[in-house]
Amino acid sequence: MERVDLHPTHNSPCGKYKLRPGKPLPFGATIVPGGVNFSIYSHHATDCTLVLFEKNAPQPTAEIPFPDRWRIGNVFSMVVFDLNYEDIEYGFRMDGPWDPNNGHRFDKTKILMDPYAKVINGRDVWGVNPDWNNIYHHRARVCFDDFDWEDDHPLETPVEDLIIYEMHARGFTKNPSSKVKHPGTFAGIREKITYLKELGVNCIEIMPIHEFDEFENSRISPTTGKMLMNYWGYSNVGFFAPKAGLAATGKFGMQVDEFKTLVKELHRVGIEVILDVVFNHTAEGNERGPYISYRGIDNKTYYLLTPEGYYFNFSGCGNTLNCNNPIVRSMILDCLRYWATDYHVDGFRFDLATILGRDQNGAPMHNPPLLESLAFDPILGKCKLIAEAWDAGGLYQVGSFPAWGRWAEWNGKFRDDVRKFLKGDGSIGAMAQRLQGSPDLYGGEQRGATASVNFLTAHDGFTLMDMVSYNEKHNEANGENNNDGGNDNDSWNCGFEGETDDPHINRLRRKQIKNAITMLLVSQGTPMIVAGDEFGNTQWGNNNAYCQDNEISWIDWGLMKKNTDIFNYFKKIISFRMKHPVLRNRGHFRNCDYMGSGFADITWHGKKAWYVDWSDNHKLAFMLCGKHAKGGKVDDNSVYVAMNMHWQMHGFELPKLPDYISWHVFANTDASPPYDIWEPGKEKKLDNQNEFLVGPRSVVILVAK
Amino acid sequence: MEIKIEPRERITVAEIIGNIDSATSPQAQEKLMPLANNKCCLALDLTNCKYVSSAGLRVLLMLAKQFTAQGSTLALAGLCDEVRDVMDMTGFINFFKLYDSIDDVLNSI
Repeated sequence: MERVDLHPTHNSPCGKYKLRPGKPLPFGATIVPGGVNFSIYSHHATDCTLVLFEKNAPQPTAEIPFPDRWRIGNVFSMVVFDLNYEDIEYGFRMDGPWDPNNGHRFDKTKILMDPYAKVINGRDVWGVNPDWNNIYHHRARVCFDDFDWEDDHPLETPVEDLIIYEMHARGFTKNPSSKVKHPGTFAGIREKITYLKELGVNCIEIMPIHEFDEFENSRISPTTGKMLMNYWGYSNVGFFAPKAGLAATGKFGMQVDEFKTLVKELHRVGIEVILDVVFNHTAEGNERGPYISYRGIDNKTYYLLTPEGYYFNFSGCGNTLNCNNPIVRSMILDCLRYWATDYHVDGFRFDLATILGRDQNGAPMHNPPLLESLAFDPILGKCKLIAEAWDAGGLYQVGSFPAWGRWAEWNGKFRDDVRKFLKGDGSIGAMAQRLQGSPDLYGGEQRGATASVNFLTAHDGFTLMDMVSYNEKHNEANGENNNDGGNDNDSWNCGFEGETDDPHINRLRRKQIKNAITMLLVSQGTPMIVAGDEFGNTQWGNNNAYCQDNEISWIDWGLMKKNTDIFNYFKKIISFRMKHPVLRNRGHFRNCDYMGSGFADITWHGKKAWYVDWSDNHKLAFMLCGKHAKGGKVDDNSVYVAMNMHWQMHGFELPKLPDYISWHVFANTDASPPYDIWEPGKEKKLDNQNEFLVGPRSVVILVAK
Repeated sequence: MEIKIEPRERITVAEIIGNIDSATSPQAQEKLMPLANNKCCLALDLTNCKYVSSAGLRVLLMLAKQFTAQGSTLALAGLCDEVRDVMDMTGFINFFKLYDSIDDVLNSI
């Protein structure tokens, strides 16, 4: 039966288009029978005009004012009929007060992009120089949002069972050494799915894929002469659209289907997808920045403004999104729900997430409504929510981020404490906390080990190979006199700064890498690694490669040849973690034998079994009782880990096992490959069941069976 | 875009000359959908079709589903590399039977 409200009722003023009153929901541009429903809201605008372009045309084809009598509340909506969906681009002109002191910067000479744009044109192919005279750079388009998912669905893998692999969508395959057909794209990632399965990771966390302008802040490096770009993408133009320039089919406007196909194929082999989302600021910068969207649509609503009307800068990037304003909150919620329902995304990692907990004056809130909404939202109910729990305004909330039992955090303390221990400079007291999933930070109600995302490397900072090859950052190529990038790297170059032929130093570096990944993967909580660490990828000491769209940040697959032993080690230790649920508990340890096995769930050891010299910060061992795996619900082997970060070999007395089982060695980072690590399940029984000689700066894993 | 329909011995061949996009896909749908009855086989010869847009891919997919629902077969033949590649990257390729040429379609039946 046909609806009575689908037919045109009016003509546009120019006479060319048929119109009718639209529906306020959903916001954005939606295909309806015969036409497109356009809907946009603004609290303070006095009127709004729809601007239509033919694809890539320099001037608009038509400008159709939204009749005021069709406005409902603060929402302008109308249906325009007989549009060629694939050929049009649309924008808005908003009129309203120009009163910057009171937060209003309406300018009807500017054409503004729909914040809810699901497809954005203008940077369709990465790096192609735009026409700088374009009057409307980032252009919203109409989206075909239908897609045949067949029986795909979000995987809902328990967070404690994830191995997260952080990657940059372009940098992952852009280097020709990747040998993919479509380097630097979503399709390129898809070509590497077999590799990801072989490595054994089951979750990829992709750095920002929301549309951004790679030309933002672009400039020539004074040191290298290369073009520096907004490469990482932590500065978004639109939150509802995947970046066309990251898609091989972006030039055809098919990035939506290409990304959905990537998610579908990843899910098919059991790999989850987490998106890195950047709601703390936009690409519009401060009052000197461009008009792309929000500034001209409703500046006072969308941005945190000082009493004089300037932009608060808690992001360090020029502006701060007003996340706890009810309207902005709705937009963020709509956005995340859209990615969860329409793209089947499994979770989100929130950049500079403490900004999401600031109120409209910038002050931190006790119960931020946005974070609470996200924690309890029904559609997002099974999504992973991960916070980078700090911002550029000094608000550091690792361990205290408002969580409601749902949020996990990037555990920056894990990185800091484990890196210190690794180079012989740390505290075994702190290590004991980190290995257990940081109960000192997350031991409160409703949290548990699952609150902790453990990592030693991330896009911010050194790669793993560089962490063991450089004491200092080397960001000269960024053109900021090496002033950018973090200084507290807690890294150690093993005796020489940078690349070297010295076999002893290189051997130590490889061992340190294995030590690092071992400590990460035997820790409770959710581990995250960075793409390329598994074959020793280097950025030559650049720890802030945000602007390097070149070999510095494009991972070098050619390194696999000379670093097969590192890759092999990663593969096997990932497999080991997945085979041993005792390493993947949800809650924290109770430090007692509640299963009656004769061993407490976790026990600490040193050179002597059952005794730790807490003043000796170079040596620590622990044993996890297999009967207490997953809170005692699952039976597993007991696992013993000894870590000797001293420069000399030491004997570690082994805890005595019952007669029917004995210690087998799974990994020994001091041994030369292939004896550094065994196939999980094929561990070698130790001749000496009483003591193990742990080499200098080495880690050993034993399994009782 | 032009569509030439040619009934042959065991199959019907529809040659598509030109692009299938939002302007031309309604025409494609109108002409080809009615052929989806009575367990027949339709082969689309896309040798002279150099571009299929998002709208075009969707019309082809709807045709494929309709043909399957009616117990009929839809085959795509003669795709150029670029079209095949785009169909693969956007996930549409799995829904179709692809052949290098109309002769291959005939040989396989």
